[in-house]
Amino acid sequence: MRALSWMAVLAAAIACTAPLALAEEPLPALAAGQRGVAVHAARVVTVDETDRVFEPGMVAAVDGRIVYVGAPAGVPEGYEQHRRDEAWAVPGMIDLHAHVLSGGFGDINDMVLSVGPELSTAAAIVPSNRGLRTACAAGVTTLFLIPGSGTSIGGFGVLYKTHTRSTFENAVFANPGGMKVAQTHNPERRGGDLGLTRAGLSWVLGNINDRARAATTAGAEDFALANLQKIHTGELPVLIHCAGSDGAAATVRMWRGTYQTRSVLSHGSLGGHRVAAYAARMGMPVNHGPRTQDYFVSRTGAVEPTAFHYWNSGLPNFSLNTDSPVIPQEELFLQGSMSARQGVPGSQALRALTAHPARAFGIDHRLGSLEVGKDADLVLWSGNPLDPRSRVELVLIDGELQYDRTVHGQWF
Amino acid sequence: MKSIAICLLALGAAAPAALAQDVFALRVGRAETISQGTLEHAVILVEGGVITVVGQDLPVERGIPIVDLPDAVVMPGLVNCRTRIGVDSRGGGGADLTARASAELYPRQDVWAELLEVGVTTLGIYPPGTGIPGLAVAVKPEGETASEMIVKDPAYLQFYLRSDRSSKKLFTDAFDKLDKYLEKVEKEREKFEKDLEKEKDKEKKDAAVFKPSQPDDDVRPLLDLVTGRLNAVIGIRKAGDWLHLLDVLKERKFEFALQCDLRDDLDLFYIKDEVGKRGLRVIFDPRVVQHPSTRRERNLPAEFVAAGAKLALSPRADSVRAHEDWLQEVGELVRYGLDRQVALRAMTLEPAHVLGLGDKLGSIEAGRAANFVFYDRDPFDPAVKRLGVMIGGRFVSGDLGL
Amino acid sequence: MKTAAKHLTMKNFSLLSLFGALTAMAATPLWSAAPQEDEAADAAPTEVDTDADKYVAVIGGDIHTGTGAVLRGATMLVRNGKIRRIGHDIYIPEAAKVVHAHGYSIYPGMVALSASSRITDGTLSADVDDVESGIAAAEMGDGADADVTVEDWVEDWDQDFETTQAFDEAALRASDSYDPFSSFMVLTLAAGITSVESSNLPLKLRRDKLDDVVMGDGGAVNFNWGSPDARRSTAEDFKKAAAYLREYRAWEAAGDKEAKEPSRRGINSGAIKVLRGEGRAKFSADVAHDLLGIARLAQTYGFRPIIDGCREGWIVADELGRAGVSAIVQPRERRPKPDELMVGPAGSSIENAAILHKSGVQVAVKAMNGNVDLSGIAGRDLLALSIDAGFAVRGGLSEAAALQAVTIVPARILGVDHLVGSLEVGKDADFVITDGDLLHYETHVQLAFVLGEVAYEKNEELYYAHIRPRPKILITDGLKPAETAKDGDEATPPVEEPAPGDDPAPEDTPKPEDEPKPGDDPKPEDEPKPEVPPAQAA
Repeated sequence: MRALSWMAVLAAAIACTAPLALAEEPLPALAAGQRGVAVHAARVVTVDETDRVFEPGMVAAVDGRIVYVGAPAGVPEGYEQHRRDEAWAVPGMIDLHAHVLSGGFGDINDMVLSVGPELSTAAAIVPSNRGLRTACAAGVTTLFLIPGSGTSIGGFGVLYKTHTRSTFENAVFANPGGMKVAQTHNPERRGGDLGLTRAGLSWVLGNINDRARAATTAGAEDFALANLQKIHTGELPVLIHCAGSDGAAATVRMWRGTYQTRSVLSHGSLGGHRVAAYAARMGMPVNHGPRTQDYFVSRTGAVEPTAFHYWNSGLPNFSLNTDSPVIPQEELFLQGSMSARQGVPGSQALRALTAHPARAFGIDHRLGSLEVGKDADLVLWSGNPLDPRSRVELVLIDGELQYDRTVHGQWF
Repeated sequence: MKSIAICLLALGAAAPAALAQDVFALRVGRAETISQGTLEHAVILVEGGVITVVGQDLPVERGIPIVDLPDAVVMPGLVNCRTRIGVDSRGGGGADLTARASAELYPRQDVWAELLEVGVTTLGIYPPGTGIPGLAVAVKPEGETASEMIVKDPAYLQFYLRSDRSSKKLFTDAFDKLDKYLEKVEKEREKFEKDLEKEKDKEKKDAAVFKPSQPDDDVRPLLDLVTGRLNAVIGIRKAGDWLHLLDVLKERKFEFALQCDLRDDLDLFYIKDEVGKRGLRVIFDPRVVQHPSTRRERNLPAEFVAAGAKLALSPRADSVRAHEDWLQEVGELVRYGLDRQVALRAMTLEPAHVLGLGDKLGSIEAGRAANFVFYDRDPFDPAVKRLGVMIGGRFVSGDLGL
Repeated sequence: MKTAAKHLTMKNFSLLSLFGALTAMAATPLWSAAPQEDEAADAAPTEVDTDADKYVAVIGGDIHTGTGAVLRGATMLVRNGKIRRIGHDIYIPEAAKVVHAHGYSIYPGMVALSASSRITDGTLSADVDDVESGIAAAEMGDGADADVTVEDWVEDWDQDFETTQAFDEAALRASDSYDPFSSFMVLTLAAGITSVESSNLPLKLRRDKLDDVVMGDGGAVNFNWGSPDARRSTAEDFKKAAAYLREYRAWEAAGDKEAKEPSRRGINSGAIKVLRGEGRAKFSADVAHDLLGIARLAQTYGFRPIIDGCREGWIVADELGRAGVSAIVQPRERRPKPDELMVGPAGSSIENAAILHKSGVQVAVKAMNGNVDLSGIAGRDLLALSIDAGFAVRGGLSEAAALQAVTIVPARILGVDHLVGSLEVGKDADFVITDGDLLHYETHVQLAFVLGEVAYEKNEELYYAHIRPRPKILITDGLKPAETAKDGDEATPPVEEPAPGDDPAPEDTPKPEDEPKPGDDPKPEDEPKPEVPPAQAA
């Protein structure tokens, strides 16, 4: 294992210092029936662990998986080739908090049960809907399409790729992809239901979690709790909507502290950034947005750059979301721009839109960066992807061309 | 100072019989004179309810009764130049320059005695309403009839200026009327002088006196204002109002005090330099407020004083309780950096000036009314006890030996 | 002994003494202290010498004039609030305030169309005043603007008077409620905007005075194009107005005193104003056939319309260009085809601004909304005007045209391009000093000047001072470097390059990548895996 990684160092060093020295073809020849694609760009931003950049660079994939990332190299016959000599190649962006199941709001809140771990958004997704297509044309390739926050547990969401012409089965990445919880605020209930207060909300969540955990320990099968049990076995992640410092703290305490789930704190706005250090200490990823700043909440008189605060707090994993369509799905990149405006370094802001959300959800072995073996979800931008002035030239998902500006016209 | 005082005392001794009942001396541990600062071992001679001599360690002529309070601190009776206490009518939003708060006066209420009890000896009661509600009255909180209570009527003309068109129009309309009147008088005078030239009879010519027509009732207060006979108090609610005030006042010159209720998020600090540069008097309530959108505390009264403004402080509400707390709330501003002498002055002489009574009361010096409050220690000491109150040379609260 | 009350009773005044007093008052300075206040004499106001010219010189920065030219390391000299000179080797008067802008960029302040009236009269704290001013704004500010349409005037034959009156009233309202200390104004200046269109009027964001705040009457006459009836009646109005003007000119040319002057009864005065070239017609329209209708109307009667919205302008751009249209667009607007099965193009396009510009249409960019969004969502309100200009570039508009779309073009639309919208000699010194390209997302405004006075300074206001902090830009009296320059870094121009500084690419040499995880499916894990903190904290 160690030897292998040393070899990788050596290979990388050669690739970097003397790219032209690589005479032999690193790309495999295509076997019959295999589908190969090679993309040439002015700059390949891998967003891998060491933030490698290749200028110029090339990414190649066979049957949807990346087989080569590096300096331009010879391409064997049969590969579909795309060349954008001015463009940056960047991993497709990932939004862990998206509601564009059918293109806009709607079909996301089933308000009858205050906890609904049996529910799933899978039934509500309209494949290739307009929201998904525009997202794709804006470089967003994977969405966690989730229920709303009207109830304590809205149900399970689907990890979905923004294929522009596809069936549900082809576009789905993981179903269920994870659970959606609303810790505070929105699920507060009126009219005598349990859950009028934070105490009630907390009990509702604690009660069902305890039942699921007990069932898991006992090896019992409970149809209603089957999916929730996967949260407690660590099989699936959970995304928790919360706001305010109390809400954010309660989220970390319950889902990291008490239940030790693979949990991601979402939003964390309206003062939640004051809990960032606690979340960092507990190793809890934060998926921040759509609000990335606070005006006067803390009464310092300053505009609080909350995205910067989270990033700067030493969190293991900081990502950004749109809560689409609160912010249109296609403007996910602008959440990165606005964070960079606050002082988050550009490379880190890009990471918060790619590698970090993938890692937070445990799907980083396939998504979030341009590395050999991962899904060929690749976007070519005319320049810096955080700059609103840059446009998306080309989008590949699973190595398949989804959008080409020169062919399809500019969608966004 | 001392020699003059002795000289005066000697004069007084020349006719002891005449003064016997009317004259007395106060000998106190310390006097906050306001005009001359703090005077230790002060001796104050009062004749007929008016202070005649103030000095340090002065000898007192035999035969003059002495109120000896070697441990007491005395300061002038408190003056609140802006209140609606004791009156309760409601006002509208237009301009009524003839309305007088004195018409609302209702003597023989408990509230007056209670105010005296807490040391308030002069009050400025302003008319109700917004816009230009009318004329304020200065009263003392004692008397059997309204006219006995009245010290000065009118005391000042009350305005409010808001950053909106209708409010500014009230101002300009009112002053347009004054301008028209002045133009008319100017024409009358020209005619008078022309006629005078034609007049051949020298005797008649010398005897002729120009008699301009009288102004209307709603012009008269403005005429008094621009001729320096009347003060104005102009209420604003935010810094922006100040610029709109300048916009409507243009080149007009008259004496006015700027009033604003202090509250959190107030942006008034923006104009402190402009107000201070002009040496204006400001009327605030004693409050430490928070900078807009923050929890940062600001002592606006102290900031305005530092910028050059003169400061009058009124109690934060129109209740006896607020008047009772007044001293301690001003003391809080002192602890937040307001100069102690300025703070004392802001409760006495400055509000007296607002009422146009600055030469009659509000300080301990010769010629001012003998209105005093006696304390057992520094007035801003949180443990302070009030020993007594004197108005016009009579104790109305406490009994300290006369 | 006199009692105090007796002593203080008001004397009856005589007018003779009154005039004596008046004369005496005339000699005393304004705001004279109370006569009984001796000690106040010390604090007498020191008068500013108003005769002296006031100079401000901005030196060392890159001056983007907004006319296409960029002068590197140049000087801009401002005299009494107006731009006096721009260039190199300019003599700087000794008395000038010198702004040391080395390493910074200077741009004309942006002109924001369709801003909320709250920018100029609002306060941030939600107290009673706020609610009241909000109501007042609703009653007399925003509500009044778009609705001053032909319908309101058509009934009244004496319309010329009405029209002028309407603009004067609006000017009075806007300036009478103007609050230069409004927090919204500070935030708007921080976004690089120095002028706004509020209630149809061009206003300067001035922080110290009310003078010269209203720059003009807006210059535009609104016409309703919102319904078939409105379109018909507007077209009819122009037809009648044109006929009237023909008659009138003929009558005038004839010079026959006996002949009756043509009647203006039933003629829309707004249309007359437009046809006489005294004001520009403004329409609000989005759909292609509506835009075409306006273009035809304009070409028929020979005027150059302003079209607000213009969503489908890209479809009929050539026609709009030929008709001399000025378009106000929102580049980020997303409005799909109303029906997927519809034949032909429809809906919004990110390329709208670019296509219109290419066809000769004057393109102005407006923000997504005219208000300051306090909800915490960044980049989608008035403060994101420069970002919106960036979205126009995304659609293919050139950088220079995008800058003009938020500066000189809106200034032209408001009829104030002789005052603002570009940095040219003789114009108002309304400009911003930024730490980089104005259209870049990381750029912050460091200083904003209005009429040559500092209206915003990032380091001096609470809002953004702590975000991407930078040393204060040095401002000295005269050119000589200040004595204080030695201590503190204030005098030192920033060494680092202005934004864009943070491309998402590190300078580090590539290092080995982590071995990809085996397996295709997410594996269940018993314990939450400890995540390795990235090197971000460093």
